[in-house]
Amino acid sequence: MLTKIQSVAHVGLISVPVAIEVDVASRGFPGFTIVGLASRAVDEARERVKTAIVNSGFDFPPQKITVNLAPADLPKDGAAYDLPIALGILVAGGQITIDEKKLASCLFYGELSLDGGLRRTKGVLLVALFAKREKYKEIFVPVESANEAAVVSEIVVRPLRQLAQLIGHLTKAKIIKPLRSLPVAEVIETAAAEFDLAEIAGQEQAKRALLIAAAGGHNLFMWGPPGTGKTMLARAMSGILPSLSEEEALEVTRIYSVAGLLKSGEALIRRRPFRSPHHGVSAAGIIGGGSNPVPGEVSLAHLGVLFLDEMPEFPRNVIESLRQPMEDGVVEIVRATAHVSYPASFTLLAAVNPCPCGYLGHPTRPCVCSQKQVDNYRQKISGPILDRIDLFVRVGVVEVEKLLENQSRTGMTTAEARKPVLAARQRQLKRFGKAGIFTNAQMGNKLVKRFCPLDEETTRLLRTAVEKFNLSARSYYRLIKVARTIADLAGEEPITSAHVAEALQYKQFG
Amino acid sequence: MEYREVRDWKKLTELGRLSGLKKPPERLFFSGDWNPGIFENCAAVVGSRRMTEYGRWSVERLVGELVNQGKTIVSGFMYGVDQAAHEAAIEFGGKTIAVLGWGMTWKLEKRERVLAEKIINSGGLLISEWENQEPTLWTFPVRNRIVAALASAVYVVEAAEKSGSMITVNEARKLGREIYAVPGPITSQVSSGTNNLIASGKAKPWLPGKIVARVGVETPVYRLIRERGGLTADEMGRTLGIGVDVLGIELTHLVLSGVVVERDGQYYQG
Repeated sequence: MLTKIQSVAHVGLISVPVAIEVDVASRGFPGFTIVGLASRAVDEARERVKTAIVNSGFDFPPQKITVNLAPADLPKDGAAYDLPIALGILVAGGQITIDEKKLASCLFYGELSLDGGLRRTKGVLLVALFAKREKYKEIFVPVESANEAAVVSEIVVRPLRQLAQLIGHLTKAKIIKPLRSLPVAEVIETAAAEFDLAEIAGQEQAKRALLIAAAGGHNLFMWGPPGTGKTMLARAMSGILPSLSEEEALEVTRIYSVAGLLKSGEALIRRRPFRSPHHGVSAAGIIGGGSNPVPGEVSLAHLGVLFLDEMPEFPRNVIESLRQPMEDGVVEIVRATAHVSYPASFTLLAAVNPCPCGYLGHPTRPCVCSQKQVDNYRQKISGPILDRIDLFVRVGVVEVEKLLENQSRTGMTTAEARKPVLAARQRQLKRFGKAGIFTNAQMGNKLVKRFCPLDEETTRLLRTAVEKFNLSARSYYRLIKVARTIADLAGEEPITSAHVAEALQYKQFG
Repeated sequence: MEYREVRDWKKLTELGRLSGLKKPPERLFFSGDWNPGIFENCAAVVGSRRMTEYGRWSVERLVGELVNQGKTIVSGFMYGVDQAAHEAAIEFGGKTIAVLGWGMTWKLEKRERVLAEKIINSGGLLISEWENQEPTLWTFPVRNRIVAALASAVYVVEAAEKSGSMITVNEARKLGREIYAVPGPITSQVSSGTNNLIASGKAKPWLPGKIVARVGVETPVYRLIRERGGLTADEMGRTLGIGVDVLGIELTHLVLSGVVVERDGQYYQG
């Protein structure tokens, strides 16, 4: 007898329906074959399914079993087909009888363990979103990953612990209660900031730069000796950013679901991501890769912060590979068998020591690097990358006594900082309504001219600055963009010379 | 780079100072336009390769004053204080002589080549006692005796106790040159040598000439910079109790108008 079970495959973030056709032939030599471009993990499903069926108290039919994963030309990977294959064998072998129509409106997805239990499986959120879009009624997924699906409304999610439980449900012996759905907005609101700005002592200028970066979506470059709080500042960044919108939260969670990085029982990524890859990362690790490409760090930082600590220590090709995502907000990964694109719209925070030893320009400690070492170190970050960074700030050494005596003045909390950022973001959304961008940082030169008119005094100030600091045309535009954000933070529409003057504090330095 | 030999240098009156050396150079090569006047009134500015920000600022103030007194700045063309001194001399419109620690044919790195061209274009000279000689451990101290001999006074900015600058100082003392040292923070390793020179009486301390306040700008920020140079924006904000956003606006205006200079995030009077 032949039966058909519905499941889903993922190519990048795109879900494709997969029909699992199982035939248990009444004639022929006993055997178990899986066809349909199955990867090794899928092929090994034979052993898992066979044992799981037996350990769940059913018979594994000693007949010729053929499983076809259609469409046949789409490569399939992962262990998520264990569940539909096992179910198919039981149905096709006649051990249980289920209404065919009902079967067609359900999706089955999950990895089996040998004892017949279901294991955590990645990509469940995508299955639920796919089910909603394609109007399936129910999905059956492993209990540990089921929370991911709970945030999708309008579908029935049945969490499974055991294969036998599923059979009990389908034969109406014991119904599995559907998972209570979880409104996205509720989940997001309960997220607390991971790290508070007020915990960082001193560094007022760096904090101000963080605020500007968060308000205008600008990339930020922090420069200073080790141990001055660059990493702490970066970690505080995701707290000042506006919290994720429902749509954004789902978008981020999709990426984490595909990458299998959601924790057991976690429903949704609630905070803006903060990714801080070690400098040993490979180019594939940063932009994504593999024969069935998985998202890299730039995509895991989507809508959040990508923090590169000691940026010049990263291999040059890794740094250069950031160019495309920084420009386009997506990464295209092309492999022989797959072409996928993952969203990768992030704010880059780069922390850089002044030299390899870290003490160049330190008030009292001499630097032990040779000039050549310093030059090489600086050249690691190429012009095109620096051109995409709008804000540059020094994070200097803070003397402890100075901090103690003035403690009261350094206390801007994350919550306080977030308010003007939100307001500034609102202004930008309103301004760019039709321009197809969201933040000041995304403005091209044309849009800068359109949205940032300058009065005479401001133009004069800029001209003086260009001459004095020998600014390039590119840094000229970056300066205006930052001034635009500073004006937005102040809630002012026209850009004045004061805004430009403050923006000049964060210009690129040699 | 093009270079020529100074023919019979011992007969040239402008190089008379070199003959005071125990072991004067045998031959002498130079790059640039030979102008006897350049040797008339020379001051040597030497110091550590590991220059701190304090050192850079000191070099700029010191060289600025020396150039204003019409002096030619002589130094050793090494990175750190030496090159900062050459650069400052050119910036202030003065002339400078670089005494190389290697032969004239040695190929310079790009950054150094740019500096060498600047020196020549500003009417300065590159000189060396060798034609083909690699830079090695012994060439630098040997070169220092020429630096000391050419100058009538030697100014040391940031030097550790055992350093090439101390060799220059010893040579200069033997030749009876005046020695000045820029006092540094007692916590700084690269100022231990200079501070010791002053403490032992071998050198006179060099202190910047009186800074005249400019009329018209006497805001609290400017006053603070004038009184305590070398503060960062964060420190000034804390001291004055104003936010860095407002402070930043004023600092930019002060820097653009030229009354204040910024070096690596620290502000000094211009």
